[in-house]
Amino acid sequence: MDSNPSVSPSPRPVYLPEGDHQRVKILVAGPLGVGKTTAIKTLSQIPTLHTDEVMTDAAAGTDDLSLIGLRDKKTTTVAIDFGRLTLPGDRVVLYLYGTPGQRRFLPLWEGIAFGALGALVLVDTRRLDESFEVMDLIEERGLPYAVAVNTFPDSPDYDLEIVRSKLDLAPDTPLITCDARELNSSLNALIELTAHSISSAGVGAS
Amino acid sequence: MSRDKHQRRLLPPYLATGTSGAALPSTLDTLTALRASGIPLASYHTSVHRRVVELVTGGSLTAVEIAGYLALPVSVGLVLAEQLVSDGLLNASVPVPDALAPSRAGRPSRQLMEEVLSGLQSLRVA
Repeated sequence: MDSNPSVSPSPRPVYLPEGDHQRVKILVAGPLGVGKTTAIKTLSQIPTLHTDEVMTDAAAGTDDLSLIGLRDKKTTTVAIDFGRLTLPGDRVVLYLYGTPGQRRFLPLWEGIAFGALGALVLVDTRRLDESFEVMDLIEERGLPYAVAVNTFPDSPDYDLEIVRSKLDLAPDTPLITCDARELNSSLNALIELTAHSISSAGVGAS
Repeated sequence: MSRDKHQRRLLPPYLATGTSGAALPSTLDTLTALRASGIPLASYHTSVHRRVVELVTGGSLTAVEIAGYLALPVSVGLVLAEQLVSDGLLNASVPVPDALAPSRAGRPSRQLMEEVLSGLQSLRVA
């Protein structure tokens, strides 16, 4: 990623429905390369958008903003992909936020998680341990989540019960397989998540 | 000067070069929808402000989409939107009013989630 890319012409914006509607956020989380962007592209009705959030470690112990932005400051970049899905009737617009969800992006993560219906955590059976960090972050925020095993052609055969025990999932956390390239398969994953969010709200909410 | 290491603030570089001298805590959500009000830009607005206003002149977009279309970090999109709303150039509408109620802790209502569920089910291709 260039630090200062030449400005390319923005794609023509796809505006929101004109009437009253509510916008709901769903996180699609998981480690790099697990299929988040693929799932979002499959589900989105608009060309997916991408932003790079750049975070700078501000100088400790000073409020002097003129010190920030010096060339030797350490910066980190976190990529967020997102897509949009308007449900039939134009009353609800879903936003899918793809985020790697590493702990070092915690300040960003707080804002992303707020208000979300829940998170769909994508996992790759070849490297389950890479999903632990994002699952911890989601659990700490009390965000309902479902886990979808994204199927890759060279994934080893797996037993969902073994995956469940390796991920140490709660008994009621949905665990499904998903082909992120397939619309119905990706919709099913969101449906499982939403159903789970509804039942969690029924238990905990007043 | 006694601030601990783990309390260091993380700021986007934009704030170092922006127009205001202090970080504005954003009151907008990334999913706040924004649309140009028709009030013209003032002389102190920048070319980036102009691009934001032009982008949402024909319809509404959320702050996160504005950032995406203009290739800006989300935090920058929020700051710009905040400035333009307070200047009256953009109108803002909150994403999910009921999720902002304290009793909900930022979660959508059950009714809204049920609407999401049936909407997703009806999108499935037979």
